Amino acid sequence: MPDHPYMPKLARIVEVKQEVEGARAIKTFRVQFVDDGFTHQCGQCAMLSVLGKGESMISISSSSLEKEYLQFSIMRVGRVTTAIHEMQEGDLLGVRGPYGNQFPIEKWKGKNLIFIGGGIGLAPIWSVLQTARMQQKNYGDLSLFYGSRTSSDMVYKEELQKLKQEMTVQLSIDVEEPGWDDYVGFVPVNILDKKPSPKNAIAITCGPPIMIKFVIKNLEALGFKDDQIFTTVENKMKCGIGKCGRCNIGLHYVCKDGPVYSWAELKNLPQEY
Amino acid sequence: MDKILAKKSLTQWLKKLDGYDIYAPFPQDDTWNYDLVTDPAKVSLDYLNTAQAPKKIIFPQREVFLEFARTEDGAPQMTETLPDPAPFIVLGVRPCDAKALTQHDMVFAGEYTDPYYWARRDKSVLVGLGCATPPSPNCFCPTVDGSPHSKQGLDILLTDMGANYYVEALTKKGEKLLGAAKTLFKPPTPKDKQTKEKVVKDAAKKIQRQIKNLAEVPPKLKGMFESELWDQEAMSCLRCGICTYLCPTCHCFDISDEVKNAGAVQGERVRTWDTCQFPDFTMHSSGHNPRSDKASRLRQRIFHKFQYFVENHKTYQCTGCGRCISLCPVGIDIIEVLNKVIDHA
Repeated sequence: MPDHPYMPKLARIVEVKQEVEGARAIKTFRVQFVDDGFTHQCGQCAMLSVLGKGESMISISSSSLEKEYLQFSIMRVGRVTTAIHEMQEGDLLGVRGPYGNQFPIEKWKGKNLIFIGGGIGLAPIWSVLQTARMQQKNYGDLSLFYGSRTSSDMVYKEELQKLKQEMTVQLSIDVEEPGWDDYVGFVPVNILDKKPSPKNAIAITCGPPIMIKFVIKNLEALGFKDDQIFTTVENKMKCGIGKCGRCNIGLHYVCKDGPVYSWAELKNLPQEY
Repeated sequence: MDKILAKKSLTQWLKKLDGYDIYAPFPQDDTWNYDLVTDPAKVSLDYLNTAQAPKKIIFPQREVFLEFARTEDGAPQMTETLPDPAPFIVLGVRPCDAKALTQHDMVFAGEYTDPYYWARRDKSVLVGLGCATPPSPNCFCPTVDGSPHSKQGLDILLTDMGANYYVEALTKKGEKLLGAAKTLFKPPTPKDKQTKEKVVKDAAKKIQRQIKNLAEVPPKLKGMFESELWDQEAMSCLRCGICTYLCPTCHCFDISDEVKNAGAVQGERVRTWDTCQFPDFTMHSSGHNPRSDKASRLRQRIFHKFQYFVENHKTYQCTGCGRCISLCPVGIDIIEVLNKVIDHA
């Protein structure tokens, strides 16, 4: 098959896991390329396609150190993601990419890493979180703040419980639920409450745009400098290669120049995302 | 290479151009539009400008990226559909529209090259026609670093000298076209050269509209993202998208799947033109939309052309053809908008 930027490669679904049920259902898919595929860096995305339905840009949530499969956690929201949710183990998916830049994890050696996720926004930072924990000796303390609307809306529930053995995990839900022992309230408020130290730290956040905005604001209030805060931005994308014109934030195309930005970089772009 | 071609010899020249498809402007309803030439005798360059820029020949409004089908066992089959056209000539390209194609070249090259665009572009030969008379009262090419006889992007430039064309072959591709009918092309006399210079000079004087000082716009826009100007200017916008549809430089597109039958999946993945003026251009599947109102979309159009593109590619993404002004149903005028930017406190 010819190799060019719009041509998907075929990948077989080798594992499907239902993360969240209901109206905002989320499933995690692991895929393996049928023929030659590609390797990725943490933070990059791939364009998934279901023939007859179209394409959707999805973050790669597996670590770049994981060579056996690519992982995608996908919320069922539109035509393409609904079609992907209907697929089973053994089915073939179109994949092209990888697209975008990466988290500068090499520069974070020796630092404390604070991961801050909201809802499905944990998936785009899960790759870099996994790399950090697999190479824990290279970094200082690792911690995770993660929140969702309700406890059942959380992704990676089992992995989060296991992660609690390795690092500080602060979970939160938006409204009170019977049997919930962790924090109740929005993620940015939990940050202010727990006051992670900015000393020798890097904060990495992703979630709904409104959450990202307030997380950054509150991190600044805690003394985090612009170059200590990283986020990964999402926008509607079609080409993935900076040509179709829709994912731009100012002069940057998120698909190509992003999706990973330090706040130092992002704050200098028009605040339109 | 400069030559003279008698206008009455145009048909003979076109007849000699074996091996090329030729596109030329033809009258269509009340306007002129590009179409494939079937009879060179019917070609006339007696038009102002085409309603749509010739970009549609190289970057068609709809093109098939791949054909797909699903076999009995469910495995998806994809067949690439890269175009493989015969070399083709686009005749009578106005200098503004040729310059616009050089900007498409910038977009579709770079880190990733677009194979569909270049499959056509590499086969194209652009024969330009200078504008002895401005094709539109809204022409403003000189203020966006162009001119009615700009050679940028062209392989040949024809200058209208009444009974003759002054023919300048600007590239090897252009020289080849003259070589196909050597006897028709005469060397220009010193008088021909003088006449041509006069046509070129006079044409520049006939442009009626201008942006005050465009160089001020890119730096100024940087501080105007939150200005009320965008609300005011976009108030009357109907979000029809005609401004971007007719723009020779606009390149934004959509990719979608078109299914042909209801049974086993079979269809085409297509690229179609899209516009930043439509709300769903940027709407996330969650419903969140970074550009949810028409003010932010008009701002995007202006910023893309006169700020972002300038920073990324060192040129304005506008060639002054005036189509968006002439055809906007509510009279949004890009020159007036830019002049207001310049006058903005």
